Amino acid sequence: MIEFRQVSKTYPGSDKPVVEDLSFEVLEGEICVLVGPSGCGKTTSMRMVNRLIEITEGEILIDGEPNTAMSGTQLRRKIGYAIQQIGLFPHRTIADNIGTVPNLLGWDRGRIKSRVDELLDTVGLSPDEYRNRYPAELSGGQQQRVGVARALAADPPIMLMDEPFGAVDPITREGLQDEFLRIQQDIKKTIVFVTHDIDEAIKMGDKIAILKQGGVLAQYDTPENILSEPDSEFVSSFVGGDRVLKRLSLTRVGEMDLEPANGGTDGLLRIDEGLTVKDALSELIGSGHSRAVVEKDGENGLLTFEAIEDLMGGASGEPSNGGESSA
Amino acid sequence: MSNPALLLLQDLTGGTELVDWEWLGENFWEDILPALQGHIFLSSISVAIALIIALPVGILSARYRKAYPPVTFVTGILYSIPSLALFAILISIPGVAIGPSPVIIALVAYSLLILIRNTVAGLDSVPPETKDAARGMGLTDRQILFRVELPLALPIIVAGIRIATVTIIGIATIGAYINGGGLGTLIFDGIQRQFPTMIIAGAVLATAMAIVADLLLLALERYLRPWARVRRT
Repeated sequence: MIEFRQVSKTYPGSDKPVVEDLSFEVLEGEICVLVGPSGCGKTTSMRMVNRLIEITEGEILIDGEPNTAMSGTQLRRKIGYAIQQIGLFPHRTIADNIGTVPNLLGWDRGRIKSRVDELLDTVGLSPDEYRNRYPAELSGGQQQRVGVARALAADPPIMLMDEPFGAVDPITREGLQDEFLRIQQDIKKTIVFVTHDIDEAIKMGDKIAILKQGGVLAQYDTPENILSEPDSEFVSSFVGGDRVLKRLSLTRVGEMDLEPANGGTDGLLRIDEGLTVKDALSELIGSGHSRAVVEKDGENGLLTFEAIEDLMGGASGEPSNGGESSA
Repeated sequence: MSNPALLLLQDLTGGTELVDWEWLGENFWEDILPALQGHIFLSSISVAIALIIALPVGILSARYRKAYPPVTFVTGILYSIPSLALFAILISIPGVAIGPSPVIIALVAYSLLILIRNTVAGLDSVPPETKDAARGMGLTDRQILFRVELPLALPIIVAGIRIATVTIIGIATIGAYINGGGLGTLIFDGIQRQFPTMIIAGAVLATAMAIVADLLLLALERYLRPWARVRRT
């Protein structure tokens, strides 16, 4: 668990803090996304966790201990670190790159080698093909996979990720995001994830911390709540006018409670259960139909506009059967 | 015929020989080989001493940027003093005897600018994100310097050593003027005795030595950068 307690950062010679009185908790095994416009101090906040930047006021607790309890280098060896520009060592092979922290921690060779192979497998790169290559031989997406593998190498309970999928094209990025979420289901790391992209934040975050200029926390909540109940003008404009549609992208059609489709489903539009509700809605509208069939566990469910409205509950001020919201 | 090349050819084929092969054979062990050995000694010891000074100064200049302009100013002045004048100045200093030591001092002074500049340029060429990642993973400053920055800077540093070495091998011939030894001895003796064979032997060997040193260092530069030789996908 990571706890920010009234953390502020002011650089010498400046009277304006870049991070001001920041307090929030990242629970064990959760991804907390720091998001906001440039200059909001999100990267600074992340870098204060492993003390690449020192705090001016307040403290950051890791599992109840202030992160100043040990030396900066020792602390950093216990925290995974992945950045947008990746920063692979160009003069080291992929295996050496991934083995960096285990090597610093004094693991023996055999253990490092098997860990490297295991991680290459985890991130979807064949160990035999890649371990002896140099970073320059890999594509951008492959390098980012290696960057993530390197951050995971010593199995740190905490990871810091600064736009770790930022340096690749949108399609590759989506693939990497999906893959990382799948990996995270197994490894359950406590992660501070920085991005400027609200869509990435919504997709990756268990919690989202929206920061505004001057490093002030605007809202800290689950993606669902941030989309349905933005606290301020700033948050609602930052998440965008399409926040209702964004909420639809949080759910997949397979997860909806659908009426069974009785009788003939011939001629009806069929929608894959893996699609997000947002994409399904888009298909539905595009097809000109008012209903579609979703096959799940061998049974046909009926996706209708009403079903989607029900899913949205009382959001966006619509009077409906909701009432589960606290607003 | 006024073409000098043709004149030379005529000399070589005709009566008066430009190169006295017999003399070369007779004096190889006594004069030529010691001169060559002396030259190799002068050049290599100078480059080695210059490196011992330039590497730490370069590393510190890269780190403490304010020190860099005065460092380049001083070494730049040293670099621009005519070599003959520098030798003369050095032997006029009390306590500096005529012989190899003032030559070595001068050769070191000449190489400093190139070596320090390339050390700083090499360290500057290390991508900032590579250093950030290294720090973020818990490498200490010393580990970052020795495991990341210097290995990545090394090819540029070696490129500087190449230039410095070739320069030094050339300038070292002048060192014979103050009894420094080396191939310059053959050249100066040849001029005094009006015996072209000695001049040519000294000049050809100095040139050959510069070329060989350059190629060896080029090979070293390539060897130190295996990651740049790989094919890209």
